[in-house]
Amino acid sequence: MTPTDNAQTLQSLAKENRILKKKLERSEADRARAEETRRNKESSLKRVIVELQDSQAILKKKSNDLEQAFNNLTLMQNKLVEAEKMSALGSLVAGVAHEINTPVGTSITLVSMLSDETSMLVQSIAQGQLKRSAFNSYLEIVQESTGILLSNLNRAGELVQSFKQVAVDQLSLEQRTFGLKQYLEEVIVSLSPHLKKTSHSLTLSGDDTLTLESYPGALAQIATNLVTNSLSHAFEPDTHGQLNFDIARHNDRAVICYTDNGRGIAPENLGKIFDPFFTTARNRGGTGLGLHIVYNLVTQKLKGSIQVQSQPNQGVLFQIVFPISVH
Amino acid sequence: MFKIAVGHSNDPDSMEAVDEVIQQCLDSLSGEIPQAGILFAAIDFEHALILNHINATFPDLELIGGTTDGEVSSVLGFQQDSLTLMLFCSDDIEIRAAVGRNVSQNPTAIAQQTVKTLKDTLKTDLRLCITTPESLTTSASSILEGLKLGLGTVPVLGGTTGDQTHIERTYQFFKTEVLSDSVPILLWGGNLLFSHGVASGWRPIGKQSIVTKVYKNIIYEIDDKPALEFYRYYFDDFAPDVAYPLAIFPPGEETFFLRGALSYDPEIGSLTVAADVPKRSFIQITDATQESIQAASKTAFNYAWETYPGTKPTAALFFSCAWRRFVLGTQTNQEYAAIANTLQHPIPSCGFYTYGEISPLRDKGPTFFHNTTFATLLLGNK
Repeated sequence: MTPTDNAQTLQSLAKENRILKKKLERSEADRARAEETRRNKESSLKRVIVELQDSQAILKKKSNDLEQAFNNLTLMQNKLVEAEKMSALGSLVAGVAHEINTPVGTSITLVSMLSDETSMLVQSIAQGQLKRSAFNSYLEIVQESTGILLSNLNRAGELVQSFKQVAVDQLSLEQRTFGLKQYLEEVIVSLSPHLKKTSHSLTLSGDDTLTLESYPGALAQIATNLVTNSLSHAFEPDTHGQLNFDIARHNDRAVICYTDNGRGIAPENLGKIFDPFFTTARNRGGTGLGLHIVYNLVTQKLKGSIQVQSQPNQGVLFQIVFPISVH
Repeated sequence: MFKIAVGHSNDPDSMEAVDEVIQQCLDSLSGEIPQAGILFAAIDFEHALILNHINATFPDLELIGGTTDGEVSSVLGFQQDSLTLMLFCSDDIEIRAAVGRNVSQNPTAIAQQTVKTLKDTLKTDLRLCITTPESLTTSASSILEGLKLGLGTVPVLGGTTGDQTHIERTYQFFKTEVLSDSVPILLWGGNLLFSHGVASGWRPIGKQSIVTKVYKNIIYEIDDKPALEFYRYYFDDFAPDVAYPLAIFPPGEETFFLRGALSYDPEIGSLTVAADVPKRSFIQITDATQESIQAASKTAFNYAWETYPGTKPTAALFFSCAWRRFVLGTQTNQEYAAIANTLQHPIPSCGFYTYGEISPLRDKGPTFFHNTTFATLLLGNK
């Protein structure tokens, strides 16, 4: 190598040396810096994890609070239902008093009149002044009054009977295992005397195999009241109505769909049909208790629900859903 | 004609380095006289010596630049403690430099006046502004506000100067002067085509808090408590770490921008961040991975490449955040390499790691001040 080459090599090595020295310095500084950054990263990640844990704890607490709130709401709901029942009972008693007051009041007036007439008759006999015409008039009054009395007292008696049915809890109903379709067939047979007077037909369709562990007495009453309700309200005279019970199973629940193809229920009445004493046929002897009894039996005895759908001249559909086993 | 020369030396000796850089440029220029240049230098160099030496070789050069937190070029890729110079020659592009001094006295007005004075001397239509302003003495947002007032809709690109993470003093270069607290600008007019792109790669993590007391770029309280407590909640007793910039969601905004913590006051518990923060902003710490950062750099470059209005750009300038370098660590060279590898014939490029990037978010959009982003500027005339 020439001296020039040596000088160039030396220059190049010196440059390399300067660069390496500087890089080393920088590398040391960067390493310290990287360590600090790593510490910070660890610290921040730990903190974020703590935050996540805190969030989890908060969520858990919120979940517990929600569950508590839900339980409180359920309790509140039960209390409201009880209050509603008490309120319903109050209006029921008022309704019963009002309904029974009419026949009983009429009866009292008639009996009081009969008592007066009889006193006058006895007085006439004691005085030996009884005239045949007066006696005949008395007999007419007695005959007419007793007729009216009997009708009014029968009305009162019917109301008391219905009132007993409304109080479902007091109704002694037997619980047993039975085939739903077979049982409803029997109920339909028992209703045939009512149907024979009309040209309507009542049919039964659906699941033959559905067996219930429930209250057949309640179902009989429900079916009877639904059919009676249709016969009283749904059809114009001399029409041929079609009534049908369809039964089906949906998971662990039985579904009974009762339909008629009558005149339907006016929209303004649809929300009131289960209210006690609501009737559109009071003048024809309606008590307004039939569907109320149905509602109470479905919700309290069968532990189910009932819904109604209807439009004017489109018939009516009652859907009753209740557990196959009430246990 | 638009000719670019790039020189880059990692020799720590100032004289040796500048000689090497100048020689590389002279080799590329083949006798052409450059009219303007941008110089990026590590903090440890003798900057006055370097500038005088460049001036001796290229008198009347319209030169700006500044100190950095790392340098990058198509010559040596990513380097620390190096010197890189890009020179521009053109017969149909006008490039002029100016500087606003003592900018912290009134950053907005001084920046605006600097633009206005230089703009009036241009013979051609103003197209672009490149700047390398001070980062530590004042709010870079206020400087940008002034530049924008002077420039109108003309976009600004650049980065604030650095000091290799000492956060003590940074320097700006203007012709032969080494300055602090200044805003050098390079205005471009005439037959210039350019495009730009910007992306970050950071994402917010942790709980969201609210900035309750702030004055410009100094956050005093977060959630009504000293701002430092918010930082220490995550970083224990360590000093605020610039590798974890804060995500700022301005009131009513679902998107965020990033603000790195430059310094703090342990007495009152305040945090000084790189630019202004709107009051009542939501604030979160952030995190980034090397992968997400590198992906963002490519995204920024690709956007600029796809929106370039001509056939092919002549040169590229990069402004990448110093905090990206911290997170990238030994992978920092990959940020440039990944971009260079996407090109069949890499174009002359030059750039630096900054304390804050300046770029529009999209083509023809308004210019914003950013942290932790990678901004690309592509230049050409055809």
